[in-house]
Amino acid sequence: MQEDTIIAISTPLGYGGLGVVRLSGTDALSIAQQIFRPKRKKQTFPPRRALLGNIYDFSKNEIFEEAFLIFFPAPRTYTREDVIEISCHGSPVVLEEVVRLGIKAGARHSEPGEFTLRAYLNGRIDVLQAEAIHDIIHASSIKQAKISFHQLEGGLSKKLLSLREQIIDMLSQIEASLEFPREKLKISPKSITKSLDRAVQTVLNLVESYNLGKTLAEGLTLVLAGRPNVGKSTLFNALLERERSIVTPFPGTTRDYLQEKIHIKDSVFTLTDMAGLDKTTQPAEQEGIKKGKKLALEADGILLVLDASKTQTNEDILLINKFEGKKIILLFNKSDLHKKMNVELFKKGHPDLASLEISALTGKNISLLKDLMREKFVPSTGKSEEIILHLRQKLLLESIYSALKLGRNLLMDGYSEEIYVEEIRKAVPLIGELTGEILNDDILKEIFKSFCVGK
Amino acid sequence: MIDCDVLVIGAGHAGCEAAHAASKLGLETCLITADLNKIAQMPCNPAIGGLAKGHLVREIDALGGIMGFQADKTGIQFQLLNRSRGGAVQAPRAQSDKALYRKDMTKFLRSLPNLHLVQGMVTQILKNGNLACGVKIHTGEKLFGKAVILTPGTFLNGLIHIGLEHHSAGRDGEPASLELSENLDKMGLRLFRLKTGTPMRLHRDAIDWSLLKPQSGDQNPVPFSFRTKTRLENKILCFIGYTNAKTHEVIHNSLDKSPLFSGIITGIGPRYCPSIEDKVVKFPHHSRHQFFLEPEGLNTPEVYVNGLSSSLPLETQNLILKSIPGLELAKILRPAYGIEYDAVDSTLLSETLETYPIANLYLAGQINGTSGYEEAAAQGLMAGINAVLKIQRKKSLILGRSEAYIGVLLDDLISQGVEEPYRLFTSRAEHRLHLRIDNADK
Ligand SMILES: Cc1cc2nc3c(=O)[nH]c(=O)nc-3n(C[C@H](O)[C@H](O)[C@H](O)COP(=O)(O)OP(=O)(O)OC[C@H]3O[C@@H](n4cnc5c(N)ncnc54)[C@H](O)[C@@H]3O)c2cc1C
Ligand SMILES: Nc1nc2c(ncn2[C@@H]2O[C@H](COP(=O)(O)OP(=O)(O)O)[C@@H](O)[C@H]2O)c(=O)[nH]1
Repeated sequence: MQEDTIIAISTPLGYGGLGVVRLSGTDALSIAQQIFRPKRKKQTFPPRRALLGNIYDFSKNEIFEEAFLIFFPAPRTYTREDVIEISCHGSPVVLEEVVRLGIKAGARHSEPGEFTLRAYLNGRIDVLQAEAIHDIIHASSIKQAKISFHQLEGGLSKKLLSLREQIIDMLSQIEASLEFPREKLKISPKSITKSLDRAVQTVLNLVESYNLGKTLAEGLTLVLAGRPNVGKSTLFNALLERERSIVTPFPGTTRDYLQEKIHIKDSVFTLTDMAGLDKTTQPAEQEGIKKGKKLALEADGILLVLDASKTQTNEDILLINKFEGKKIILLFNKSDLHKKMNVELFKKGHPDLASLEISALTGKNISLLKDLMREKFVPSTGKSEEIILHLRQKLLLESIYSALKLGRNLLMDGYSEEIYVEEIRKAVPLIGELTGEILNDDILKEIFKSFCVGK
Repeated sequence: MIDCDVLVIGAGHAGCEAAHAASKLGLETCLITADLNKIAQMPCNPAIGGLAKGHLVREIDALGGIMGFQADKTGIQFQLLNRSRGGAVQAPRAQSDKALYRKDMTKFLRSLPNLHLVQGMVTQILKNGNLACGVKIHTGEKLFGKAVILTPGTFLNGLIHIGLEHHSAGRDGEPASLELSENLDKMGLRLFRLKTGTPMRLHRDAIDWSLLKPQSGDQNPVPFSFRTKTRLENKILCFIGYTNAKTHEVIHNSLDKSPLFSGIITGIGPRYCPSIEDKVVKFPHHSRHQFFLEPEGLNTPEVYVNGLSSSLPLETQNLILKSIPGLELAKILRPAYGIEYDAVDSTLLSETLETYPIANLYLAGQINGTSGYEEAAAQGLMAGINAVLKIQRKKSLILGRSEAYIGVLLDDLISQGVEEPYRLFTSRAEHRLHLRIDNADK
């Protein structure tokens, strides 16, 4: 347990509505009693109950702000220490004043991430869980938050612990045969190889989940493609649900492309519209066109827009071919107008592509399109598979992978136990480092530094 | 009384190395022990070396210690273990003639000019403030020195268990050291309880050797010591036997008379050295357990039954033997027993094995929670060397984990402490592949 009591604003600054100031430590309650006056005189601070009252400036003997206070006694709290939460009006001025009063009453302003650090030091969470908390706070999509939440619940830790158990089990067999040669303990290279293969696969899956995790965290990149005037910009706005005027390029201003994040249910996409490009013929913008093409080729998916009110052109077909191998959704736009394109025939020509008739202008089928985007573009995360989101985790997993793999290869090449076991042994402290069991201080400090205050 | 620089208490394996090192480095040294006829006694198995332990002996030898040379000299069967594997996990092991080892060690220590042997039971460590300055023995006599190295083995409040009976003893047939424990406790050295055990000794003439499988030593024995120049000779055979279903039944039927299973023994025993009743209970699917019959010397009828350590009552021990082909008529010369004793929390030690609470007081061997002759000897040696270096105001000798198994041993003790009797394993070393018996002198 840490000696002193810390205080900080625990809701992000600048957000309206309610704000929360949190205290943690042995003196949390006594400090709260100095800076908070319950509405009903002489009321005690009951555990885990919201208590209405006022913030109280004891130096001036005046109350100013109405507030709620909740007292969470140790150890069933986030930090495993006594915790007090004071919720009041969310303006930064008010919240900072509450913190100032708390400090005057004996609390110390927390370092960045210190609440989480305490939770870790008091054994409530391991490092993976601490990282997950950080991720939840900063989650850019609900999907990512869900993965992080699963991690927070200890999903990834459990997986790694069972991996560690498996490796330790294997090691103990081999070590025993080395240490007690007179007992003639037999080890089966076959079963060791099998166990190693299993461990290697587990680690590999985790390493590979990093790219997926990253995509989910940062959002899938989608590009709107199509000939000029098919309605890309209109669709861009329709998907963003906002007025067209905002994105209409001002004449004469140069811009390469527009990029916006959109949330569809629990997923996030980064949508790129290059409409601005094809509306210009200025040579200065050729550079931008190149860049746009590159973006399109690197994208996770393409929304290919066709104008169904016009007969189809060669250019449309060329575009489809250009994006071969990519995930594409064909959109027959302007379906509110008289159809000139033979949509059915077109679809038959590309049976493997998803398609939809829409109207970007009237909004027809836009919500269907959103569903289709999730269905086609968001990779399945599987049911129980863990997903890693941090480079730190990935790098460690890669080291674990190479240790196990090398051990396996040495075993296959007929090296004796003490040689290949040396490699397998390395995996154990690495797993410890991953879950934070044997971390040295510097790494810890690094990790906790990147935390915002509180949960 | 002689005025000494270094006082060593206890002439076990730790004490012998410590006393030898201190006197060899030129300081007047006094070795005080309860019984001068029991110097360097091996209370358990008649062997030295094995995995990690053999490495330790090589390192002790390289640092000028005596265990390796004495073990070579008094060995009666030699084996290099893990011969088929790589150099890093090969280790020498020698069966010893216990009596010869004792006698020869005593003779050798007596020959050292600066070393004085004193018989006496130490009852108290004398202090000057927080500095150890001497000891008091049972006669009331006081001895003074600049450093005190304490190596009392299993003697501190030792309690021997045979079945549900127990009695106070330091080991079989020797009185425990009672006052000293309390004295250490008062000085702030936290004590805790550990447990170990030893199997029965049989009379060789009542064993039907034809029913057991012989095991010989190596053709070309490898010595421990870089100084051993004579050719080593195998003089005995060991034998291998197995327990069976009948044996296990006998044990199961007698568990209510086990001090371990009935909860009388509270000290923590070594997991890696389980008693036969432990093995039978914990591994019910094993239809048999291997044991070795090892002669304790050339001129003694005593045979050590390696693998049948127990604290069951004597009658059960007899029944166990009766169930095993070849041992049906065996005669027990000394019963198997378990022993509980006090050890000191080793995290109170600095890397030279000097205690933090009391300066100039060094602890080595079993008292630090370790088990094994070699672990004891290694600590004794390091405590002896460093006590001298401190008196001479020289820089202490600290070995790193990557340099030597001794480094691993000491570092584990002082930084992690001990929960069960600590034994060194090669796998405790992160740098196992570099710590080899053939480069222990580097
Ligand atoms: C029953 C039993 C079973 C064991 N089993 C094993 C085993 O299976 N494997 C293994 O590796 N090791 C085993 N050991 C442990 C091994 O014997 C010890 O680890 C090793 O001998 C410890 O060495 P030491 O120098 O610390 O103490 P010891 O060799 O025990 O020597 C202690 C010496 O100190 C003297 N002494 C004690 N108190 C005083 C005092 N107050 N004043 C003066 N002199 C004193 C004693 O007379 C004795 O000479 C066993 C020990 C016992 C007793
Ligand atoms: N009727 C109709 N007109 C549309 C639709 N989508 C876009 N338009 C019109 O088509 C023209 C070109 O649209 P724009 O979004 O700028 O095309 P872009 O060049 O592909 O970005 C504009 O006049 C839009 O109002 C639609 O679904 N129906």
